[in-house]
Amino acid sequence: MVLTLTVNGDRLSSAADPITPLVDVLREDFHLTGAKPVCREGFCGACMVLVDGAPTLSCLMPAALADDCEIRTVEGLAVDGALTPIQAALEACDAVQCGMCFPGMVVTLTHLLMIKPGATRDDIRAALTGNICRCTGYERIVEAALLAVAMK
Amino acid sequence: MPAHPIFRADPTESTGAMNTHSPASIYVARSLPAALDALNECGSAGAPFAGGTWIMRSSIRHEPHKPHYIAIGKIPELTAIRIDADVVEIGAAVTHAALTWALADLREFDVLATAAGRSANPAIRAMATIGGNLSTSEFAAADCVPALLCLDAEVEVSSPGDQERIGLERFLKIRPTLEAGRLLTRIILPRRDRNTAHARLPLRKSGDYPAAIVSLAVSFDAAARVLAARIAVGSVEPVARRWERLEAALVGRPLDPAQAAEVAAELADEFTGRDSVDMPAWYRVCVLPSLVRRAAVAALNA
Repeated sequence: MVLTLTVNGDRLSSAADPITPLVDVLREDFHLTGAKPVCREGFCGACMVLVDGAPTLSCLMPAALADDCEIRTVEGLAVDGALTPIQAALEACDAVQCGMCFPGMVVTLTHLLMIKPGATRDDIRAALTGNICRCTGYERIVEAALLAVAMK
Repeated sequence: MPAHPIFRADPTESTGAMNTHSPASIYVARSLPAALDALNECGSAGAPFAGGTWIMRSSIRHEPHKPHYIAIGKIPELTAIRIDADVVEIGAAVTHAALTWALADLREFDVLATAAGRSANPAIRAMATIGGNLSTSEFAAADCVPALLCLDAEVEVSSPGDQERIGLERFLKIRPTLEAGRLLTRIILPRRDRNTAHARLPLRKSGDYPAAIVSLAVSFDAAARVLAARIAVGSVEPVARRWERLEAALVGRPLDPAQAAEVAAELADEFTGRDSVDMPAWYRVCVLPSLVRRAAVAALNA
């Protein structure tokens, strides 16, 4: 059976097995490689995407259960090439290191700033609990999120 | 099966992804009778799929998928929480995040709100269900299991045309051999005047499985002496269980965290810790007195 998913506003088809993790369909079938399959256990957050607006671990979601959902990956956050406030703040703060965890961080923070525009440092740290940075570059990421909050 | 989405595996297709997995069909059930019929029809070839946080990691554990999964996360009665004056009923597919939110203002359920709200990480909590936490025999570090044990929970197990209500301790004994087609559908909690607390020790402050868990529910008489205590220990042994000798030792005197920890240290040798790659068995046991003290402090402050 062919799966039809709505990804970044596009209707895309995949012949993947229904229980294939969504992250694999995004990367292998749709060539959206922003989400990273790192731990595949839901611990690291590198595969985070928005499913119906909620941060979701795409390594733990079977593609079939995303069938009637709106999926947004890191590639779909910037509209017409214009960076979102959190993307711009992360760039301004030079917060990007190796890039492995980074798309997941951006997706998590995008959601946080959407539901909590006045997020505090503690809110940001709590939201990033499930996003592991092996470069341990958290502080600049948190500072960038605070900058994005301040600029709103 | 009824005419709802069935996603069938095609063994000739593959994404070519690195994480190979066995093919499986997924049937998205929209009602409880439809889910029970499908589970019954599939027998041992099928299994319920709730949050999926355990099933989707099967390949990491070198376990094959079942040929068929019945997704139960969109069934209204399984995702509902009913709060009455004398009872709280929780659908088995309620997520940890939803449970945390629903219990936030009910102080007597602090233990469960903490268990659900501190486990794993935010994205896992938005997926993982309480029913999955209770039904996964192999998962020793489930936070909700000891929390529910100390709340004297009962569970409802359903099959086509039949429902059975049993105590959680009994369910934990039978769950490894629960017949195919039977589904945990509801958790029932009596409401009582009590203070509760959940103390857990992960290796990091958050995001990890806990080394050990102590869940405590305690009620007091007019003189502030312990009238009744229920204490459950999780993650130390393969299955969470009550610590009845410690419960008995606390009754009849004021709850003193230091004294409770001393008694716990004397009684801790009744536990046989489980060994794992992340920590040795003895460590899980030796942290219990500290967790008892923390739980007692939190319960007194509740």
